[in-house]
Amino acid sequence: MLSPPPGTARLPGYDLREPSEDDARASLQRVFGPDRGAELWARACREAGLLPGQVRTTAQLDRAVKALSSQGGSASVVARSMEIRLRTFARLAATAERQGR
Amino acid sequence: MIPDPLYDEARLQEIADLDLLSPDVDPILKDVARQAAERLGLPVSLISVVLDEALHVAAIQGPEGLWLDETRGHPVEWSFCATSVRTREAFVVENAETHPEHRSNPLVTQDGVRCYAGVPMISSRGFVLGNVCVVGLETREFTGGEIEVLRGLAAEAVRRIEARRTR
Repeated sequence: MLSPPPGTARLPGYDLREPSEDDARASLQRVFGPDRGAELWARACREAGLLPGQVRTTAQLDRAVKALSSQGGSASVVARSMEIRLRTFARLAATAERQGR
Repeated sequence: MIPDPLYDEARLQEIADLDLLSPDVDPILKDVARQAAERLGLPVSLISVVLDEALHVAAIQGPEGLWLDETRGHPVEWSFCATSVRTREAFVVENAETHPEHRSNPLVTQDGVRCYAGVPMISSRGFVLGNVCVVGLETREFTGGEIEVLRGLAAEAVRRIEARRTR
C-alpha cells in the first residue's frame, strides 16, 4: 500500500509539515533560479526512475533526493537540507505517535 | 534588495568543496564541541553547518538520547545559528522564552532550550559556514570573555576544516 502523499501531514507542537515534491522544487529554484532548479530536479527524478511532478510518496521523494545528492556540489548540499527535513519529520512524527498525540 | 546569504549558491558550493557534510568531519570537530560545552559549563554544544533549508550537525557534545543526535540536523527556521550567517556576528540569546524571534521556536516551546550563544565559522574565502555554539536549558547571561572563548574555538574549527582541503 502506498504511504499517504507527502506534504499533507503536520506535526503538532513543532508546526512542521511533511516535506513534499513542491518543497524540493521550491528549494532548488530558490538557490539555482527557475530554469536550473527545474533542470536539476528533472535530472534527479530521471535518475531515480520517476517523473517530475509525479513524486507522490515519501519513499519516492526520498529516492529523488538521494539522486539529487549524487549530483554533487551545491546540489548535494540542497539535497542534504531536504534529507534533514524528511528525517526530522519522520523522527518527531514517530515520537508523537508513541505519545498518542 | 540584498540577497539572503542563506541561499547563496557560492556559499553552499563552499560547504560542498570543504566536504563538510561528510561523517569524517565529526571526529575532527568533536573535541572542539566538547571544549565549548566544558569551558562555558553548558550541557550541549554543536558545530553547525547552516544549509539553505536546514541546519546540519557536524559535531555534537551533549547527553545521550537527544533526537538531534539521531537526525543530525533540523529545519533552518528553528535555527539560532542562521542569524550569524546573515549578520556574520556572534548571536546570543539569554532568555529564549522572551526573545522576539525565538519565543515560539519549537526548540524552545517543545524541547526546553532557554539560552544560546554562537559564533560564526568563516572560511578563508569569506563564507559563513555555520557556528560553534552552546545551548542550555536555563536562562543565562554570557560574558564577553565567554564569547571570546567561542570565537577562539570557531577559529580552531575552521583551521581543522580547511586543513583537510589543502591535503
